Amino acid sequence: MAILNLLFEHRDVPNIEEIDVYEQHGGYAGLRRAILLERQAVVDEIKTSGLRGRGGAGFPTWIKWNGLPKNYDKPHYVICNADEGEPGTYKDRELMLKLAHLLVEGMIIAGYATYSKKGYIYIRGEYVEPAWQVRKAIDQAYEKGYLGKNILGVEGFDYDLYIHLGAGSYECGEESALMSSLMGERGNPRLKAPHAPLPVVEGVWKAPTLINNVETYCAATWILAHSGAEYAKYGTEKSKGSKIMSVSGHIARPANYEIELGTPLMELIEIAGGVTGGQLKAVIPGGSSVQIVPAEQCPNVNLDYESCQANGTLLGSGGFMVLNDKTDIVLLMKRTAEFYMHESCGKCTPCREGTRWMYKILDRITSGGGQPGDIDLLLDICGQIDGRSYCGLGDAAAWPIVAAIKRFRPEFEYWIEHKRSPVGPGHVPPTPEVLNPLLTLTPA
Amino acid sequence: MATSPQHPVAGGTREPQPPPPKEYRFSEQAIAELEEIASHYPERKAACLPALWIAQREYGGYLTPAAIQEVADRVGLSYAEVEGVATFYTMYNLRPRGRHHLEVCTCLTCAIKGAYDVVHKLEHELGIEVGETTPDGAFTLSEVECLDFCGAATVMQVGDKYFTNLTPDNVMELIETLRNSDDYTPAKLADAIVKIHIPGTSRTGGGSYKP
Repeated sequence: MAILNLLFEHRDVPNIEEIDVYEQHGGYAGLRRAILLERQAVVDEIKTSGLRGRGGAGFPTWIKWNGLPKNYDKPHYVICNADEGEPGTYKDRELMLKLAHLLVEGMIIAGYATYSKKGYIYIRGEYVEPAWQVRKAIDQAYEKGYLGKNILGVEGFDYDLYIHLGAGSYECGEESALMSSLMGERGNPRLKAPHAPLPVVEGVWKAPTLINNVETYCAATWILAHSGAEYAKYGTEKSKGSKIMSVSGHIARPANYEIELGTPLMELIEIAGGVTGGQLKAVIPGGSSVQIVPAEQCPNVNLDYESCQANGTLLGSGGFMVLNDKTDIVLLMKRTAEFYMHESCGKCTPCREGTRWMYKILDRITSGGGQPGDIDLLLDICGQIDGRSYCGLGDAAAWPIVAAIKRFRPEFEYWIEHKRSPVGPGHVPPTPEVLNPLLTLTPA
Repeated sequence: MATSPQHPVAGGTREPQPPPPKEYRFSEQAIAELEEIASHYPERKAACLPALWIAQREYGGYLTPAAIQEVADRVGLSYAEVEGVATFYTMYNLRPRGRHHLEVCTCLTCAIKGAYDVVHKLEHELGIEVGETTPDGAFTLSEVECLDFCGAATVMQVGDKYFTNLTPDNVMELIETLRNSDDYTPAKLADAIVKIHIPGTSRTGGGSYKP
């Protein structure tokens, strides 16, 4: 178990973003194979592969694909969630920059399998360069007849693909908020199952909607080009195939690495060249929303959905942050809390108010005004957000803080007692000057 | 508290404004672009976000109340609805920006790789604080949340481009190059984003955007 370049197989081929080069390397073979199959057989292929959503939740992909009505009576939509916003993750960026055709092909296959006529790729507004490559890929696919009317001669298979850019909102990476944003509204989440129908029943414009991550569509392309059984040969019993991990932080060679699911965490650190600037202190394996793993626990963790969960963390979106022993966990958590405070959409009270209080208390602690009860107060606030917010953003704001307190409690206590960093001078991140006095509580 | 706390990253709140004058500024080309984009969706109001991007370009890089009114009229929404959208997303500018909007990512990975040092260096060298514009109008400095290119921290977005692996030592070199250029203005970013929405633009060229 180590590097497994399935999606990245042709990443380094020169000009792979051009359709001719992509076709020479087996491009659009997946679509050509898909249209020879019954639509249900395409879904079954995904089922055989055991592919799970790569956006963070790990939901079995085939259940979504299978859930849409199997006819053209009413419009259905296919949406790609390319609103990559999770701190630490940049896999979709590279997929779109270099392998935009893999994504476009995957979305055409999804359109075929789900009887859809229109697909939308929702890309975050900052990603101008990747979005431009997707634009180019779509335009080239139209020229070659992979998009448009009666695709590849299949009677009645009409499919159009559009790009919709966001305008700077982490919240829009949440699927119901993304659909709000696509409909031209503020990116607020909507009520979800079991209180409201799933997107496959009632999604965007109240129509059945399939919504998946960039990496999931790319993997679907690979699965159709090879086969579901081939994909299922890789990975562990419940986590099949490969996952792209975006390695960043205190590491010698930060980059996207496609690994086989189940690869030991320590092996990925080794592949990426090892920790720089000191000893390993902790790893955040799946983006800022997941629980931090202290160094002593790292050897127990394998990078698959089950092993991560068993070790009290999540694989998430694959934003793998390596932290060395100069890192001040309290300051890092304050920065995390600031992120969620800024990105909370403001719709529901627990998240809107709770994320602010979390930040205020952490800011108080790291400004030298921490009080003895602050740690328990933080845990209390986190407990009141987790599970009580409208969407996952509230949970995601609470989890990392709770885990950091649980696993690095002495550091929080040190800050409160000594009013300075336990790491000492030269700690990272450096304490920023107080940027906004309004948000700082007066030290008691 | 009378004033709501304003977070120092891009976007932010604006003082209440009198009703805007109805004076339309979309060019014929802009109207054609809006009609093309609106045809992609089953409902016209879905074109609200792209229309705001068009407005941001047509109104010189930021959204005035008149711009929001024009978008509202053209996509069939109320002023309040469009303003709600425009204030929600941080990339819509509600105030004028400098020729170059320096958006430094200070989120987790960038923070531990020294993004705050870069911000402080810029503040010191440009003589402004985060959120301010230099007196000559060349630069606006902002902190932004994760730009998602964490492998190349510290990252800064200027217009449509990401500048990567920045440190306090190399950032001023970049600033000097930018000072005399006009390549990454907020209006050009808006233009690039509008063009990406429109089918076929990769063949005809991306307008002011140079991939």
